[in-house]
Amino acid sequence: MTPETLIAAPTFSLPSVAGPSLALADLHGDGPALLLFVSEECPTCSLTLRRLAPLVDGLTVAGMTVVAVFEDPPEVAARVARRTGFTGTVLSEPAPYEISRAYGLQSLPTAVLVNSEGRQSGRVVGWDAGGFEALLSVPVSDEAPERKPGCAAKNTYDAASLRALDGAGFDDAEEMFARGWTDGLPVIPPTSERVQAMLGGRDSDELLGEMAPAMARVTLERVAACAVLAGCRPEYFPVVVAAVQAALEPAFNVGGQAVTTQPVGQVVVVNGPVREAVGLNGSVGALGPGWRANMSIGRALRLVVSLTGGGFPGRLDRSTLGQPGKVGLCFAEDEEASPWEPLHVERGFDAGRSVVTVLGADAPLSVSDHRSTAPAELARVLGEAAAATWSPTWWPLGGTSLFVICPEHARSFAQWGWSKQRLRAELFEAVRRPAAELRWGETTPLVGAAPDDQPVGKWSSPDDILIVVAGGEAGRFSAVCGPCLGMDATAISKEVPWTT
Amino acid sequence: MDYVSPFDERRRVVAPLAPRPARLDGARVALLDISKRRGDEFLDRIEELLHTRGAQTFRLVKEIFSKPAGPEIVRRIADRGDLAVEGLAD
Repeated sequence: MTPETLIAAPTFSLPSVAGPSLALADLHGDGPALLLFVSEECPTCSLTLRRLAPLVDGLTVAGMTVVAVFEDPPEVAARVARRTGFTGTVLSEPAPYEISRAYGLQSLPTAVLVNSEGRQSGRVVGWDAGGFEALLSVPVSDEAPERKPGCAAKNTYDAASLRALDGAGFDDAEEMFARGWTDGLPVIPPTSERVQAMLGGRDSDELLGEMAPAMARVTLERVAACAVLAGCRPEYFPVVVAAVQAALEPAFNVGGQAVTTQPVGQVVVVNGPVREAVGLNGSVGALGPGWRANMSIGRALRLVVSLTGGGFPGRLDRSTLGQPGKVGLCFAEDEEASPWEPLHVERGFDAGRSVVTVLGADAPLSVSDHRSTAPAELARVLGEAAAATWSPTWWPLGGTSLFVICPEHARSFAQWGWSKQRLRAELFEAVRRPAAELRWGETTPLVGAAPDDQPVGKWSSPDDILIVVAGGEAGRFSAVCGPCLGMDATAISKEVPWTT
Repeated sequence: MDYVSPFDERRRVVAPLAPRPARLDGARVALLDISKRRGDEFLDRIEELLHTRGAQTFRLVKEIFSKPAGPEIVRRIADRGDLAVEGLAD
């Protein structure tokens, strides 16, 4: 046909999933536009998008605009485009699909080539490899099937069928997975209403800092979105924000922690009155599941690190094995069951303040001891367990170990007259070996250079040992979290703005 | 449905790669040691190979591997080097 005899392409303006609405005139002019009318429900449409996806860059460079026009809502269109690897322009046509009707569509997919004068110069219906090669003048995939019919276009549906479609098939929990807004577990979709409730009137644009590796601007709104995703209640938000602020301190080196091959997670210990106010557990099962505040606050911080901050497992997070604590690990110190001053008081805060302490750490290693009859004996049991963390031969660690002492062990130490400072000092002294005994496997430069009989400690300083009390009233199981090394990272404490 | 994204959705401007040199003869090559164990051994060997191809080399060392190179190191590489080789991981 000569150009004069070609039928004019019906004009339209449709929302783009990537920004403002686009009109047909925006799509052709400098070159032709290929309109691919598709829908989510149609398997042939997905096949067509997948097959054409590798051609989009080349066609674009050649001057063609490749457009998928979905008979679906924008979020569905965006999801299918992501899933199929389609990187062209994506538009969303709302019901009742008058543009599809204007183009005379009977079935999907239908590809319409619009030339630079705005006229229809060719059409392919269904998946037809030969038809697309002829239409586009480029080789297309020769994978089977070469032809596949599609599905009815939605503009052909009757009114009752269209009503039945409205909202059907949309599952917002699945939508979160499709968007990648998850750690692999179901999340609460962060609707505007939920995020506003989480923010509780705070300034959504307030900038807490930039987080590596994405160098993302961490705003209160994004933290609130992560808190919603994680399942937090709004009253937990001050704790989440304080934990994120701690993680953003340069001395925490969250970027290094986020991308390392180590199994490091970010552990959050909470002290002060906020624990009871939000229902944080420091008692039975404190390091495990069962308490919403514990699970969701720890998870919220991890979602900020892995989503907002860009440290997502398998992408920029290169942790060789990972560990369950990387889902999140947050617990309260059981100050009431502890015979000692709580962690935040040791770290310079008033006892009545609420404080989070965040540190990079390995998974908790449980240490059972039901028989020790003297404090030095129990301290040695705990210390020898810690001696195996990171590596049995890596001495000194050059990092922080977190001991979670169960109430029964803590009470025993107290009855034997040991303060927390005494326990720390005794742990530090108890775990020593002659350098010669450590010279196997991977050793530290210090061990390599030391005389055979020189004692080497597991820690460089007693300050590398943090001690908190948590756990059920019965049972003599404490735990130690191994360190995060090589990050020049320290534990950071931040006050939670909280008034009772 | 209107959702609030947890991501910083700013579009990043991807800096284009500098043109690859056709030859190393006379090129000034920065060798960046990130302070991981045995990175220096790797760079020693790279340095030898570069010298056999007529390149000049200079060495820089990051204070710690797990943090980004400081602006001073980046500036020195940009000022003095035509190329850079970084010894990553171990």
